[in-house]
Amino acid sequence: MADDNPVADVQLPPASEIRKPRPKKVSELPILERRNWLIHLHYIRKDYETCKSIIKEQLQETGGMCEYAVYVQALILRLEGKIQQSLDLFQSCAILNPGSSDNLKQVARSLFLLGKHKAAIEVYNEASQLNEKDWEISHNLGVCYIYTKDFNSAEEQLNIALELSKHDLTYMMLGKIHLLEGDTDKAIDVYRSAVEFSPENTDLLTTLGLLYMQQGKYQKAFEHLGNALTYDPNNFKAILAAGSMMQTHGDYDVAMNKYRVAAYAVPESSPLWNNIGMCCFGNKKYVAAISCLKRANYLSPFDWKILYNLGLVHLTMQQYASAFHFLSAAVNLQPKMAELYMLLAVALTNMDDGENAKRSYEQAVLLDDCNPLINLNFAVLLYNQGDKKGATEQYLEMESKVMESSHNEEFDPELIEMAQKLASALQVGETSVWTKPGKDSKVSQHFKTTSLQPLGTNQALGQAMSSAASKSIQLAAGSKAPPKSTSAPLDDVENAPSPPLGDPESEDHKAKEKKKSKPKPVAE
Amino acid sequence: MSSVSQMKENSETSKWLDAHYDPVANLYTFSSCIALADLHGDGENKLVVGDLGTGSCNMKLKVYRGTGLMSENTLLDLPTGLVSFLMDQHEPRTPAIAVASGPFIYVYKNLRPYFKFTLPPLEVNALEQDVWNQAREDMIDPLSLKEMLEGIRDKADVPLSVRSLRFLMLDPQDTEAFVNLHKAQPIRRQTVITCIGTLKKNMADEDAVSCLVICTESKDVYILDPEAFTILSKMSVPSAPTQMDVTGQFDVEFRITVACRNGNIYILRRDSPKPKYCIELSSHPVGLVRMGKSVVVGCAQETLQGFTQKGKKLWTACLPAPVTTMGVMDLPTRGFQAVLVGLANCEVHLYRDKNLISTIKTPDVVTSICFGRYGREDGTLIMTTKGGGLIVKILKRTAVFDDRDSAPGPPLAQSIRLNIPKKTKLYVDQTMRERENAVAMHRAFQMDLSRLRLAAARAYVKALESSLTPMSSSLSEPLKMNAVVQGLGPSFKLTLNIQNTAACRPVMNLAISFLYDESLYSMRTAFFKIPLLVPGLNYPIDTFVECLSDKGISDIIKVFVLREGKSAPLLTAHINMPVSEGLALN
Repeated sequence: MADDNPVADVQLPPASEIRKPRPKKVSELPILERRNWLIHLHYIRKDYETCKSIIKEQLQETGGMCEYAVYVQALILRLEGKIQQSLDLFQSCAILNPGSSDNLKQVARSLFLLGKHKAAIEVYNEASQLNEKDWEISHNLGVCYIYTKDFNSAEEQLNIALELSKHDLTYMMLGKIHLLEGDTDKAIDVYRSAVEFSPENTDLLTTLGLLYMQQGKYQKAFEHLGNALTYDPNNFKAILAAGSMMQTHGDYDVAMNKYRVAAYAVPESSPLWNNIGMCCFGNKKYVAAISCLKRANYLSPFDWKILYNLGLVHLTMQQYASAFHFLSAAVNLQPKMAELYMLLAVALTNMDDGENAKRSYEQAVLLDDCNPLINLNFAVLLYNQGDKKGATEQYLEMESKVMESSHNEEFDPELIEMAQKLASALQVGETSVWTKPGKDSKVSQHFKTTSLQPLGTNQALGQAMSSAASKSIQLAAGSKAPPKSTSAPLDDVENAPSPPLGDPESEDHKAKEKKKSKPKPVAE
Repeated sequence: MSSVSQMKENSETSKWLDAHYDPVANLYTFSSCIALADLHGDGENKLVVGDLGTGSCNMKLKVYRGTGLMSENTLLDLPTGLVSFLMDQHEPRTPAIAVASGPFIYVYKNLRPYFKFTLPPLEVNALEQDVWNQAREDMIDPLSLKEMLEGIRDKADVPLSVRSLRFLMLDPQDTEAFVNLHKAQPIRRQTVITCIGTLKKNMADEDAVSCLVICTESKDVYILDPEAFTILSKMSVPSAPTQMDVTGQFDVEFRITVACRNGNIYILRRDSPKPKYCIELSSHPVGLVRMGKSVVVGCAQETLQGFTQKGKKLWTACLPAPVTTMGVMDLPTRGFQAVLVGLANCEVHLYRDKNLISTIKTPDVVTSICFGRYGREDGTLIMTTKGGGLIVKILKRTAVFDDRDSAPGPPLAQSIRLNIPKKTKLYVDQTMRERENAVAMHRAFQMDLSRLRLAAARAYVKALESSLTPMSSSLSEPLKMNAVVQGLGPSFKLTLNIQNTAACRPVMNLAISFLYDESLYSMRTAFFKIPLLVPGLNYPIDTFVECLSDKGISDIIKVFVLREGKSAPLLTAHINMPVSEGLALN
């Protein structure tokens, strides 16, 4: 008995299935849309396999007349990347129901994905005649216009879309147009209103932060990036940008904490490893810094900024031969950067190649027009080579650069110190060039030296310069003890960055160099 | 110590007692087709499930009691939704079950069929009606009928009925039979129900009489009288509804929140036939649940969003996987409310506003969720899985849900150490060496680099001089050659592809000669002439080489392309012969 029941159960339904509908079909034909809800239910749950089998049954039953089944089939095909097939199906949907703007929108969308932007625009225009107040049509029209490079029409359409209904995506696109047109201010305006509308959208916050950063408004940039990180602590772009700003201010440990999150999410990003490397450098973990930078270099071997940093770190480590290789590689990739030539010259100076160092400095001076450091270093080299006239020339050049830029900029005390010593050695110039006489007097007291003594360290360029300068000067002075000459700058290196009298600006130059290498890759 | 930490770990999972798990319950259903109701008025709630069977047949209305199946009724069509509701004031107060299926609602009382409600038919196109009337009186033949219907289809605002559409699809020879079969019946256009819900009539009590609310494919929303099943109110929305949530009382004020197929959510209120508010989502709503005064929507884009009753966005939470279903967890005795979200990664998350307060792991992906009183137990969670399983869990009386977010603070990754590559002692030693000998190293390197460049330049010049390049450099005979060796040995086939790369001038009077070690290889012809080379064409020239050695050694064969009367070759190629494997095996 118990066994009989299930058997009966199994047999009954097919029987009723066959017997009942057939005779009844005379009066009741199945409704075309009867399983639309089931198709939809499976579609939105991303259960595409079941969905496809239901659609297949439904299309068989209705002979392909069920519009919604065709529509969803086309959507699934598009998700699977079969865009041409989906386009054909959407077109047949539009034939089944020519009055629906939705079908036309999907036809246009498929055309858009196939890269036929002009055709897509035509179909969207057709759709907008059926349904005038649809933000989606206006938005997509705008996007199509962007691809056809018709920015004016694009802007117009996107603004219409925003008037109809505000969406983050529309703001994004509008901002993108302004950026493509090179109008950062307008783009910032757009993103600002977007952030007001949806304050939790991390993409918008990050983009706005990066734009502020490009404009040099670091306070605002940090505010927005910080907001982005509160809502999404794993946002890679925001982490990198915020981290680089923390680094600029010397918060290496905080920056490192952030980078750990980023490194977990995107372990193969070269800008990230570059920044981590420079963080280690800031913490004076030079070997770790080299490891990280080399990984960054491995990940993107043609990025000159990484090579620049590698050169800098190797100079600090007094590995001048290696530094030379990285710097010359960087010069080959980026031949227009004065600082690179200067670093190259420092490396060459340390390898007793005064001739080439001089040529490198000459190239650097030729390319640069605002960095007094280059002229100062050149002057020191010339002075050590005994070319007093050339040195004086470079010194005066440096002074004019300082005068030009001396409004608010604070100079590295090391740079000032060095300049003063050089001035007294050359017997030119006055201290009045420097904006902070009080500090100067203190520093010069500290370093009261005669012209014949080593000119000491120039920390202006981070520790790298310091060792370079002092060594070259010692050579010129004919100093007797080579081991001392290496240990002395080493001490300087160790001492220099930490004590700088609690003056955060002292590391400014080094930080700047890092900054140069950081925000750029981030912003891309 | 370890047991304490284990206890703590377990406390998360042990908020629930596993009451029942049947992985082969063979249930194919959705949250909309599940209800808990005291069907017999004995104070014990049963589980009523509308089972979709295989999706095309074997649909059942199943009733579970405890862990066992209590009864089964066969359903004629796929159930779209199922609700239990009190339809009258009679004692004992046992709820009826309404199953929506196609254009009908089947009402069961005491699990016996009680009433069948049919949706009102849609308006029929007048022209179509006319045409069929003519056909009925045999005034027109099937062919002209077809033409006229096609004309109507292309122009009319009111779509054709199923019959006409079906007729238009038929082959010409079948049309006559079809017309004869159907012409006597009146034309009807019907639509189907897409979702069903209940709305209290005039009292907010737990056991008050409720109206049925149904949404249809034709974008209408109907409210039905619970006793007479007449239509009390009709409203419409701009797209086909998929899910709905109803709150309030019909006679006082109510809100119907309808999620639609176009991805929007519309909020309907009393006395307005059109939606009052609209929420535009960026992706399709998968789950829609009301919690207190806010509407919580699970979107296909893996987000959970909260909205006010007026459609203003309150918050967004990201989910780790796509939503499969949602349910509300309401424990009035404890004053606790939360949203259950079934995810495609075999987890059910419990959210209170945007805070995740608990996670339940399930053995399979959950497709439907229902929380409420089952049997005599108030806090029962019932879930069915994609594989057809049935899970029943009971909330422990000791379970406490912390109201704070369980996924805040710094991301986990922050505490993972950075994988900075370590440097060996050798590296440090080399660093020291470089510090001491930088100048010497640099100079040695520069010297070697210069030497390398010199050697490379010399080799290049030599190659040019002896025409070793694959392209001939002479202007009068621009030739290109490559060689292919085929075979395993001992005999090889050597194919030389020669091409004249000049624009229009043919090349004549060329010869090829081979130079090889005669003790190792033999060739039938070591010298032959090449025919005239027409520009642009590729001339494959085959020759055979026999390897004589069985010691598994190979050598180079040199090929020279020569011009008659000149001793210096135009092109030279060195062919590295492969080892003859045939002989080596012997």
